[in-house]
Amino acid sequence: MSRLLRWAAAAAVGAAIITACQERLTSPAQCPELCPGGSAQVFDTIMPAVAGLDSSFPAAKDAATGGYVARGGGVALLLSSDGFAASQDRAIYRFAPRSDQVLVRDTARSYTVDSAQINLTIVARDTLVGGLRLYLYRLPSSVDSTASFETIDPLLVDANLIDSIVVPDSVHRGTVSAKVIGTDLSRIALVGADSTLAIGLRMAAVTPTGVRVGSLVGTNASTFISYVTANVPDTATAILHPALTRATAFNTFVTLNPIVPVDSLVTVGSEPSNRGLLRFALSSQFLDSATIVRATLELTPVQPIIGLPDDPSILRTLAVVADLGAKSPITTDVTFIRDDTLPPVQSDTLRVDITRIVHLWQSTRSRPQSVSLRMVPEAATFGRAVFFSTRSHGPDPSVLVAPRLRITYQRAFPFENP
Amino acid sequence: MRRALVLLALALWPATAAAQSSQFGVRGLGMPGRPLSTRDFSLGGGFGLFDGESGLNPAALGRVTALGASFASLQDFRHVENPAGSNSLRETRFPYFSIAGPLRRYPAVLGVSFANYTSRDFTLASADTVLLRDVLVPVSDTFSSRGGLSELRFAGAYRIQDAWVIGGSFHVITGSARLRFRRVFADTTYEAATQSSELSYAGVGVSLGVIRNFGPGFSMAAMVRSDGHVNVDRDSSRVGTVDLPYSFGLGLRWRARPKLELASQVLMKTWSGANSDLLSQGGTGSDNTVEVSLGAEFTPNLRRPTRRPLRLGIRYGTLPFLLVPGEQPSEFGISAGTGIRFAQDRAGVDVGLEHVWRSAGAFSERAFLLNLGVTVRP
Repeated sequence: MSRLLRWAAAAAVGAAIITACQERLTSPAQCPELCPGGSAQVFDTIMPAVAGLDSSFPAAKDAATGGYVARGGGVALLLSSDGFAASQDRAIYRFAPRSDQVLVRDTARSYTVDSAQINLTIVARDTLVGGLRLYLYRLPSSVDSTASFETIDPLLVDANLIDSIVVPDSVHRGTVSAKVIGTDLSRIALVGADSTLAIGLRMAAVTPTGVRVGSLVGTNASTFISYVTANVPDTATAILHPALTRATAFNTFVTLNPIVPVDSLVTVGSEPSNRGLLRFALSSQFLDSATIVRATLELTPVQPIIGLPDDPSILRTLAVVADLGAKSPITTDVTFIRDDTLPPVQSDTLRVDITRIVHLWQSTRSRPQSVSLRMVPEAATFGRAVFFSTRSHGPDPSVLVAPRLRITYQRAFPFENP
Repeated sequence: MRRALVLLALALWPATAAAQSSQFGVRGLGMPGRPLSTRDFSLGGGFGLFDGESGLNPAALGRVTALGASFASLQDFRHVENPAGSNSLRETRFPYFSIAGPLRRYPAVLGVSFANYTSRDFTLASADTVLLRDVLVPVSDTFSSRGGLSELRFAGAYRIQDAWVIGGSFHVITGSARLRFRRVFADTTYEAATQSSELSYAGVGVSLGVIRNFGPGFSMAAMVRSDGHVNVDRDSSRVGTVDLPYSFGLGLRWRARPKLELASQVLMKTWSGANSDLLSQGGTGSDNTVEVSLGAEFTPNLRRPTRRPLRLGIRYGTLPFLLVPGEQPSEFGISAGTGIRFAQDRAGVDVGLEHVWRSAGAFSERAFLLNLGVTVRP
């Protein structure tokens, strides 16, 4: 019995030692008795951008020729119906030239077009708006990047209509096609030396809306396929039926009343795309002593930023590696890149959390206290933002509308001595 | 070779020496430690002034007859209650180890010990609501400390015939406390904030002790110690000094029966000397402490006195650092333990268990402390 007791006691001691090794030291605290040093104080402060150094690129004088992403150079083209609040846009494709002969056994043979098909890719649409119909019009093959809404829209008339595509409400994205056969082939006929087909798009729906369609950069631009019959009399199988596919060689879109940058404002997005550059000057004393728990970039839009429902635009805020103005290198570290999805209509102050970026400024003083703003996807979204700058003021001059940082921070905790 | 192994074992022993933690060690310098061997821990500290393996009285080294080393580990199972709530805690620490041995051809003994002086191991959790950007945001705060003060003691004792033993020691008081404050916001758009700081301490002290034996059955011991002051640096910058106490101890030992030995002691520490320093640095102050201990050791087999003796102890004391001004914490403990020596008394294991109650107003805690000691004589 005594041996059993001894073993039991040894086992109890062993168990106690093992369980005690799991340290658990957290106990509830009643302040101020058990709060040495007191409690942390949290403060809130607003720091405007450096006056006169918040800007967007390209500047107004360079807007016609500059920009980061040219109109039509984005991952999609904009197309919208009349009355759409964001903008009115028409999309344009120009296909690669199609020869009037095909090569069969090293001999060029003439052919006749039996039918044709034009494929379009819908990248995004407002899925709540039904009755979407795309209209395809023939444009002069000379259409290029100098096209404007004023020159293109008058050409989108019944006389130039090729076909229309009814997009079922169930189709939210993907490829839709227009097939041209019979006498309608004359609408896309390539006559004489003009071997290039160019088309313009407009659209209609139950209510004003927009869609984004594929582009060259997005690798989903429109294609033009001709189904032809080639006459080859010296062979037993005298008739061939090749399909001649022509990809898009050029694409763009035109907008009624495009945004023209103003130097006293900060323009982000639009076409060609603009980017904003905001500079701040937080003191070293502040950065050294504060524990920043939240830093919010506040931007006041001059006018509502309207996007396409179900296809939001993204305002991307990036830390700047070196402040070189318009060509400032920006970070590729996703930790310091902040994407904020914009609502369909953003009319209130836009607030972007950039706490990590401000932490970067705290840890590395060689980094400029600057952030770059861009709209994503660039030159391919309906959302176009124009914000007040330090050089402008809102309707109420007493209200701060310049870009600003709202920082919530804690001072150094007053650890009690000893 | 054996001695070398022992020294190697000592070097590898965890460098942290800390006593049990307590919510009554949150303020001031922390929870005072007790440099006691496991045997004396089981006896409530009543034999501390006579125990050569304990670090209270340098004269007690005179009772050491052979080179030996002892280690102690302490498991703490604690239940804390205060107006903010209650919780059960546990931890493991290594509060004390010592090595001592007699000098050849001299009636003297030298020893080195490493003990906890005060413990600042705690983590405190609290909740609050703060107004941020015109919105009330709940926050959870955690304040933690790890570390405390430790003392390295170099001591010697000299026997004058059989009646007197005198001793002295020099104490190096050092240590650090790593403080960390973390605030987590219920609104996760606010990032958790963590701030930390490190306090380091340095000081020295001296002590003198004497034991007077009135025959084999009765002894008296006395001890006086001065620790001067401790310099406090925060993150490598001097932030102040804190006066450490004078300590006075008086003990009696009486062999009431051949198998029963009793001892009692009173220890007083003038922690009120630190009061002004603590108050000037924003603390809540300190007060003098008194500890009264009584222990009894029953030896079932006089031929083998080191084989499973029964040890009992009881103690009451006050704690120096106040949570609420004017309300000094106190603690009361009862303890029991035993031990065994083997390998021709060259090795031994002692175990002690103490139940402690501590309180000050609305703040209270109770704990089971399990002390496991190992003794080696190479």
